[in-house]
Amino acid sequence: MAPYIVRRLLQAIPLLFGASTLTWILVHLAPGDPIVALAGEDGNAEYYAMMRERFGLDRPLGEQLVVYLGRLVRGDLGFSNRHNRPAVEVILDQLPATLLLMVPSLVIAALIGIALGAVAAGRRHTAVDATVRTTTLLGHAMPVFWLSQILLLVFAARLGWFPVQGRTDARANHEGLRAAVDVAHHMVLPVTALVSVYVPPIMRVTRASMIENLDALYIRAARARGVSRRRALIGHALPNSLLPIATVIGAQIGFMFAGAVLVETVFAWPGLGTLLLNAMLNRDYAIITASLLMLATTIIGMNLVTDIAYSVIDPRVRHGRD
Amino acid sequence: MRHRWIVAAYLAVGLVATACGDDAESGSTADEEATVAETTAPADDTTEPDDETEQEEEPADDVSGGTMVVAISEDPGHFNPGITTGFNVHVVTGSMFNGLVELDDNANPLPDLAESWEVSDDATTYTFTLADGVTWHDGEPFTSADVKFTFEEVLLNFHSRTKSGLEGALASIDAPDDQTVVFTFSEPYAALLQRLNSTEAPILAQHIYGGVDDVQEAAENLTPVGTGPFMFESHEIDSEVRLVRNPNYFKDGLPLLDEVVYRVIPDANTQLLALEQGEIDYLWRVPGAELERLGGDDAIDLYPVNSGPGGGFCVPTLTFNLDREVFDDIRVRQAIAHAIDRQQLVDQAIFGQGRAATGPISSEMAFAYTDDVTEYPRDIERANALLDDAGFSAEGTRFTIDLLHFPNFSKYGEIIRENLSEVGIDVELAPLDRAAFLPRVFEQRDFDTNVISYCNNSDPSIGVSRMYLSTNIGNIPFSNGAGYVNPTIDELFADGNRTADTGARADIYAEIQQILVDELPYWWLVETRFTVGATAGMEGLAPHSGHFAEGAHFVDG
Repeated sequence: MAPYIVRRLLQAIPLLFGASTLTWILVHLAPGDPIVALAGEDGNAEYYAMMRERFGLDRPLGEQLVVYLGRLVRGDLGFSNRHNRPAVEVILDQLPATLLLMVPSLVIAALIGIALGAVAAGRRHTAVDATVRTTTLLGHAMPVFWLSQILLLVFAARLGWFPVQGRTDARANHEGLRAAVDVAHHMVLPVTALVSVYVPPIMRVTRASMIENLDALYIRAARARGVSRRRALIGHALPNSLLPIATVIGAQIGFMFAGAVLVETVFAWPGLGTLLLNAMLNRDYAIITASLLMLATTIIGMNLVTDIAYSVIDPRVRHGRD
Repeated sequence: MRHRWIVAAYLAVGLVATACGDDAESGSTADEEATVAETTAPADDTTEPDDETEQEEEPADDVSGGTMVVAISEDPGHFNPGITTGFNVHVVTGSMFNGLVELDDNANPLPDLAESWEVSDDATTYTFTLADGVTWHDGEPFTSADVKFTFEEVLLNFHSRTKSGLEGALASIDAPDDQTVVFTFSEPYAALLQRLNSTEAPILAQHIYGGVDDVQEAAENLTPVGTGPFMFESHEIDSEVRLVRNPNYFKDGLPLLDEVVYRVIPDANTQLLALEQGEIDYLWRVPGAELERLGGDDAIDLYPVNSGPGGGFCVPTLTFNLDREVFDDIRVRQAIAHAIDRQQLVDQAIFGQGRAATGPISSEMAFAYTDDVTEYPRDIERANALLDDAGFSAEGTRFTIDLLHFPNFSKYGEIIRENLSEVGIDVELAPLDRAAFLPRVFEQRDFDTNVISYCNNSDPSIGVSRMYLSTNIGNIPFSNGAGYVNPTIDELFADGNRTADTGARADIYAEIQQILVDELPYWWLVETRFTVGATAGMEGLAPHSGHFAEGAHFVDG
């Protein structure tokens, strides 16, 4: 087990290096110039020449890349002039807010998705199955920013049950439990939107995987031995279906940013998504490359964790490879 | 019908999902609403400044202090207004810093840090007397040395507009005593006062920045110390900036609010909903399409304004790239001017917030404006005739041009494309985000036409001349994008800068407008206003100014 993990970790290093070089190049090849965002409008030629030199924008791209990689090796992910702070500091500041949305959303989505998938598989080709499948398909097809706006219009504007924006009430200075309740109140709508994104793939994979298992001989054997339908489903078919489910949940974490950008923007949630969006609009290269590097790390890391989870869930994976 | 059913079904599932997952939160909704209602009554939970409020002054009976929540679209990043002209910084720092003067909504100077000033007859010497008893937020006294320091060490190096506008002309800044500042110019300089408000020339503290190595990366930029009506309290990136009342503000009885909170809300629809739901009190730009609906909402007051910390007296303008062969012939430019339906732009692109433009200077800049210029009314026949004369055959498409615009100007693009298709000109729209747009237009000059909202700002020497001076062509954002060269115009703008007498200046700018409208390096489309939305019953707002919250207060009832 240990050598397997070590080997996978070592493989990740060149992968990350490649990913960061590639993102740096892509970000800098995209048309655009951060000079107005950095300096301001209506300067004269001399002023902009001075500012470009000041921020290193006058140097050839190749040279800028070498400087970037040199700093990267030393663990320096760059300085955000827009925020006047090191990029890593800014990102780490914003990370908890995003996790606060993402973790509950994923947990809730996993519970709902697996439950719905199991129910649909157990009642395959019935009205229940059809309803579950249609609804999740709809959820999957609905653009998340659109759904978010519908949620706002109905539950915040029309019914007034939930706040429109932010993580807290701007006028209240709550502390302790009341502050937590305030935050939770602000979380409901964005979490609902994210859950709707995460549920469909989890549900579909659960259903497909369980149907495959339900058809397997060992289930028939169990049923023949007198095991109840319910127990066969939950006790036998579900555990054996977990591998692909774990994969799909891992992949969702990787797509964390994608969902975050849209949902955070609509609900004005101050997390990584909002940060990344503004960084892109202002060509804040340090923040963009550092966030994308973190994203790559997360995806590579999640793949690693998923693979390790495989070997825990299914010993055959471990033994097959070792 | 089917759609409605689907939405309803989906929302039902969403509700169930919410109920499953967030029991605790849903259960608390009712309590929470109660808390929100309590805290809306302002001043209840504000902390320190309360006692001092009582001692300092006696607000009128209808003044209730309280917290004003202002929506902003982007995080400011830092809080040093001296090193940038960016709207996102100034919209917040305007409440924390002062300039030497304030400008009213016609760009006339009013006292701010300077309580009075004298201008020599030839406009080469400006002598300012500073207000008494001004202190920085940390208690240090404010003096003329701060003014001299700010200009010499910060603004003239890093503030793009102040540097380009003053650097060559300014001979010296002297501080003969603590309360006097003297600006001396090498030749007459007409519009200094329009450059000294808190947006153009915010005054920073020498004792804070004096010892800093690199002003642009200074940690002090994150913990601003100003002289302004509100003091910095806290900042959470992409979430909010909190300012609290400055109890020692040098203007008697001001400010009235206890707190100003800037909320970062990136999405325009969300901003609007937040205003309608009362979560915010102040929205800088109400989208034109929503004005009619909001006009019927008693809980919201609308303020039409022509200027603000983001610029003023704006004229969205079509730029002709004069390097392109197709625009060599002035008849082509005239034909396009005749073909574009500016009334349609007023009605459909800006929803009636403004009027058709007549030339390079906005009619709202009254002293410099003239309507005595050549007119190009909507006239398809005339446009077709001009294009025929210019040798572009009327069969099929005469020619194809591109039109670059920011994504939020897509309506302008669509209308212009539709208008020009009537005279056989094919327009290809190219929406580009700002960071991609600027180098393509001003560095690579790779475009046929574009639409930009150019703002006159507080004086023609600040916002107008930059578009026409032959010295201002090149890799400079928002410069002479047409590539227009006319020595007469260069000379006239220089005269305008150094003429002290307002009447004589007006004549110069009238001549400039007549020449430019005849030559059409650009086609000026519309003059825009914008609309601020605020909670009903607020008084004392100054939406045209960086100090919009200085005198603001809620009125009971």
